Amino acid sequence: MSKSKNVLVALAFLAPAILAVSILRIWPALVAVHESLLAPRATTYSLDNYIYIFTDPIFQSSVVTTLFFSIVVNPLQIAVALGLAILLNNKLPGTGFWRTLILLPVAIPASVSAVVWAAALRPDGLANAMLAVFGIGPQPFLTSPQQALACIILVTSWIGVGYWMTILLAGLQDIPKSLYEAARIDGMNRGQQFRFVTLPQLRRPLTFVLVADTVANFLVFAPVQILTRGGPQRSTNLIMHEIYTRAFATGDKSSAYAATVVLILLMLTVVAIQFRMMGDQGDKA
Amino acid sequence: MTTARIKPARVLHIATIAAAGIVFFLPLWWIFISAMRPEDDIFRYLNPIGWETFLPTRWTFDHFVALFQSTFGRSIFNSLFVAVATVAGGLIVCTLAAFALAVIEFPGRNIVFTLMIVSFLIPFDAIALPLYYVMRGAELQNTYLGLILPGVGNGLAVFLLRQFFLGLPKELREAAMVDGMGWFQVFWRIYLPLTGPAMISAGLIMFIFQWQAYLWPLLIAPATEYKVAAVSIAQFNSAYGIAFGPIMAGAMCISLIPMLILVFFQPYFTNSVASTGSKE
Repeated sequence: MSKSKNVLVALAFLAPAILAVSILRIWPALVAVHESLLAPRATTYSLDNYIYIFTDPIFQSSVVTTLFFSIVVNPLQIAVALGLAILLNNKLPGTGFWRTLILLPVAIPASVSAVVWAAALRPDGLANAMLAVFGIGPQPFLTSPQQALACIILVTSWIGVGYWMTILLAGLQDIPKSLYEAARIDGMNRGQQFRFVTLPQLRRPLTFVLVADTVANFLVFAPVQILTRGGPQRSTNLIMHEIYTRAFATGDKSSAYAATVVLILLMLTVVAIQFRMMGDQGDKA
Repeated sequence: MTTARIKPARVLHIATIAAAGIVFFLPLWWIFISAMRPEDDIFRYLNPIGWETFLPTRWTFDHFVALFQSTFGRSIFNSLFVAVATVAGGLIVCTLAAFALAVIEFPGRNIVFTLMIVSFLIPFDAIALPLYYVMRGAELQNTYLGLILPGVGNGLAVFLLRQFFLGLPKELREAAMVDGMGWFQVFWRIYLPLTGPAMISAGLIMFIFQWQAYLWPLLIAPATEYKVAAVSIAQFNSAYGIAFGPIMAGAMCISLIPMLILVFFQPYFTNSVASTGSKE
């Protein structure tokens, strides 16, 4: 059977997927590039839209906020997820039940989580009530420029940590027990075992989680739009919300397109790294 | 196991795990009890915290009645319909593609695989804006098709199914072909009957993706007739003033469906999530 005949067969099997990728991903991406290079009412390509957004203080502050958010939220979520995964990596009774409870928020739409946290973070809500138990006075939360972004971080972490924990827990369970036995024979304590056995063995899932988490957190939208609308004083104006506002509230399509292209390029870079790691595993399987 | 083996360290370990579980579950529990107590009671027992904070003293189902007399029932139906249709369409598209990429040998296979996965993996929301204008141009705004289409090509699903096909022995295909089967028969009669577990995993991922979608349905289907539940609930504030009872009841309805699916299919979900990050 000839390989060229296989190409036709393969094309037939792939046709729906190729069609979907072309229409739903590649075409809109090309549209975005095309439109982003056309300044309002212009007929020739230029970088005017890009120059405009990168000199616009509102867009600048949105990029800075997004980067700051990423730098805080990703290590935080991964540290908590890793801590929980280590705690749950055992055969103690009831572990499966508690693990399910931690995973549940993952399945709920982010908009529902946001709506519920909006109630919990009200001045007279559940969050302040819990703080009162520890003798801490009422906090302004979402109405404070100093605390609003921390609230967004709290909500997105409550949603996402269980997912990353699941991946890391699977990684932990893949580590051969014999490595820990050897480490004990060498006289390593718990801390040394973590550093010299657990961390190196977890390198692949940890890298994957770091990349995937970074991508996910660049695109946080529902909690911002529902809880704070980017405020107060733009302190929570993450890039997805900024793009949305430009396109639909301000009606500034051109600069929204330019911001979208910037975001897509960012994603492509991060996803390419993610794919490389997934691809490596595909070859081994 | 005897009681003598219960050591303080293990008790402390279990207590820590339980505390973490409770912290994560607490907001969900709060949704459920708030949905079933009178509006006045939702914030009444928060200060100071007591047992009444977490257990209703008066029960009511009025919020659910009010909820389903509004357009919310329609939204839940829309969400279900869109998610199920996405899973059906997505499984066809992704299984066919995964089969070609795993079983059929053809020149350029790796390049196609790379391109397809990378473009599917760009999180969908990143291109929501240009896709919105493309789809609005195609008059797909406020249609089920507009809601469903973006979900059918799922990179993770293709990846999972391909991994599964790669794990099946080559001899299956070779023997079938010696018997005179064509590629489609090999796919339909040999591979597909074995693919159940992988298709459940892939279907779960697509269902949860579509059930959670917010930005895309907000853009493409704002009309009440096509509005999905995740969008409806975010607009309750303006529709009801701030009536937390119906909000909590709605949140409970929307949450229970994926939660039950997750609880029943957790091994599939866990396996699929795990295999993306660590399984070698």
